[in-house]
Amino acid sequence: MRYADPSANRDLLGNRTLLFIFICAFALVTLLQQILYGRNYIKRGLQSGWQSDDPLANWTGLFNVTDDQAVQSGSDTTSRYFEFYKGPFEYNSSRCLELRHEILEVKVLSMVKQSELFDRWKSLQMCKWAMNISEANQFKSTLSRCCNAPSYLFTTQKNTPLGTKLKYEVDTSGIYHINQEIFRMFPKDMPYYRSQFKKCAVVGNGGILKNSRCGREINSADFVFRCNLPPISEKYTMDVGVKTDVVTVNPSIITERFHKLEKWRRPFYRVLQVYQNASVLLPAFYNTRNTDVSIRVKYVLDDFESPQAVYYFHPQYLVNVSRYWLSLGVRAKRISTGLILATAALELCEEVHLFGFWAFPMNPSGLYITHHYYDNVKPRPGFHAMPSEIFNFLHLHSRGILRVHTGTCSCC
Amino acid sequence: MSPCGLIRLQTSRGAMAILAWKFPRTRLPVGASALCVVVVCWLYIFPVYRLPNEKEIVQGVLQQGTAWRRNQTAARVFRKQMEDCCDPAHLFAMTKMNSPMGKSMWYDGEFLYSFTIDNSTFSLFPQATPFQLPLKKCAVVGNGGILKKSGCGRQIDEANFVMRCNLPPLSSEYIKDVGSKSHLVTANPSIIRQRFQNLLWSRKTFVDNMKIYNHSYIYMPAFSMKTGTEPSLRVYYTLSDVGANQTVLFANPNFLRSIGKFWKNRGIHAKRLSTGLFLVSAALGLCEEVAIYGFWPFSVNMHEQPISHHYYDNVLPFSGFHAMPEEFLQLWYLHKIGALRMQLDPCENTSLQPTS
Repeated sequence: MRYADPSANRDLLGNRTLLFIFICAFALVTLLQQILYGRNYIKRGLQSGWQSDDPLANWTGLFNVTDDQAVQSGSDTTSRYFEFYKGPFEYNSSRCLELRHEILEVKVLSMVKQSELFDRWKSLQMCKWAMNISEANQFKSTLSRCCNAPSYLFTTQKNTPLGTKLKYEVDTSGIYHINQEIFRMFPKDMPYYRSQFKKCAVVGNGGILKNSRCGREINSADFVFRCNLPPISEKYTMDVGVKTDVVTVNPSIITERFHKLEKWRRPFYRVLQVYQNASVLLPAFYNTRNTDVSIRVKYVLDDFESPQAVYYFHPQYLVNVSRYWLSLGVRAKRISTGLILATAALELCEEVHLFGFWAFPMNPSGLYITHHYYDNVKPRPGFHAMPSEIFNFLHLHSRGILRVHTGTCSCC
Repeated sequence: MSPCGLIRLQTSRGAMAILAWKFPRTRLPVGASALCVVVVCWLYIFPVYRLPNEKEIVQGVLQQGTAWRRNQTAARVFRKQMEDCCDPAHLFAMTKMNSPMGKSMWYDGEFLYSFTIDNSTFSLFPQATPFQLPLKKCAVVGNGGILKKSGCGRQIDEANFVMRCNLPPLSSEYIKDVGSKSHLVTANPSIIRQRFQNLLWSRKTFVDNMKIYNHSYIYMPAFSMKTGTEPSLRVYYTLSDVGANQTVLFANPNFLRSIGKFWKNRGIHAKRLSTGLFLVSAALGLCEEVAIYGFWPFSVNMHEQPISHHYYDNVLPFSGFHAMPEEFLQLWYLHKIGALRMQLDPCENTSLQPTS
């Protein structure tokens, strides 16, 4: 008869075990510190005379392959800022290459302090931006494989035939039957095709646009996207321009500001009129609550005989886009409208410029800014992962795929 | 166990025993009396002495003939009664005067619901009843099939104030029979629901349909039923959105209730009075002369020929909701005493004909 020694499991939280747990915890904390602030430690270490073949540096190289080169070039962070007055550098100059690398080597937003990221971003501003055709084409082909905006951005009669059971994006159990009434509202086919426009501007509503004087540059774009019914009145024209080709409307705005369009409708129509001939884009099939309100928008515009077109995001497109960005590390309940528009713009346009995309409480120079350029109403916390999205844009900027404007525009 | 508790227990048990001894079958009458109440209520709403069938009424009307003479005193007496019970000059519509903000009112078509006038609703009301009282010559146009081929259009248009019920069609094919003028049109929320999908979707058809009633008041019983409030308010929003000529008036539930009571005392038992009778009562209180057209709720006309239910269609109403024949008899009585004039015959050359 073999019985286990009854005293064997008595030392459950005894001295040995406790010691072991403590050691593990300590090791874990140290490891985390290394990961989070690793780069800074290493840099400082390098400057204080560590060898480049130090085991620690090699270890960081494991999770950051492009690292080594930049680290070994031994960029000195202090002397950099004195070079500003020398005027913009060429895009392909070695200095700019290096600066871009510094942004790119931040793989995760939490890897560096925010101020450090801002510093790097600020120093990159002295480089001219140019498109990196090969990178851009590669990125666009990835997008066309995952999302395919030129045929799936909107619900059209072609991609959503009569009788389709359209699945909602979030209410997975919800299904909308496309009946004759709805089907007639859809456009025959997508109104835009791939790389139709030369230069597009996607205008976010970030407070960074305030006093940016980017209005003229935005107006000079061939195609302008705007998000969430932003005000473009006289007061803001200088900073945000007036040209609008697509404006998205969040159904929650309609619900809150316009009583779901069940009461007065003219105020809403007046607001839309400001955008002249811009098409109105709604996430009608995002969840079940949005559908009625969004469809009503079409009726309102028809009743007032407005020439503006109404389009609805295809739910499958939204799913694909958010899935794609999730793979790039944007974890949020919902990706923001700006990100969707920018993604669509990347496929529809050759050159994409982002204005007003900056979701930090201060601008790159460290001055506090309002949340939107027109107000300072903070969003619901934990809904969008804005900083992470912006961070991705900064990456794309550094790779030469799109251009993020965060400073003042020089043109006027 | 305390002795006190024991004693109480004993006394209560004793009381029960006494009750059971004195009223041995005390449970039984509860159900029976409830049944009685139900039956009595039922009889009140649907009395057994239902009217004679319509053929007899038609016969009676024929026998009495349509000869008519205006009786100023009868009209005055009736107007006095109306003013005493309902005060249509002030209570006809919801106004800022008679329904101040924060006032709580009961829906007149429901049992248990009340509403409070809040800021947003209050702002929709006019300052006071917007008519220039007293009105001179009023015409109340019902939608009865008897109007078809009556040729009364011209005569109706001669009135100073024309009231119509339930958004009737006034297209060119009917103008000869029903006239083209209108100053007040009632609209039931149920019509808004059935014909215009509660104005939740496209509102264009509604606005286009309203154009024929240029410059008239749209009179809506918004506060009769709980479900009718939203659609009625939406009518207001819609018309103000497009800047239409029509003005929306909301019926005052207190006015509707007192008129209902008034006629209930006179023996009209129905769940609800018809819009036509509401309008005629209001007109009798507001106008000096009242003529009514198209009030004939029977399936045959006076020459025993079958007619349609409405002059524009033949959709029959729900049975048991309105007591049309009873209402007709009341109006016929008013016609007989000369308080109003009821037009039943076709009126080809009535403009020449003196009222005799």
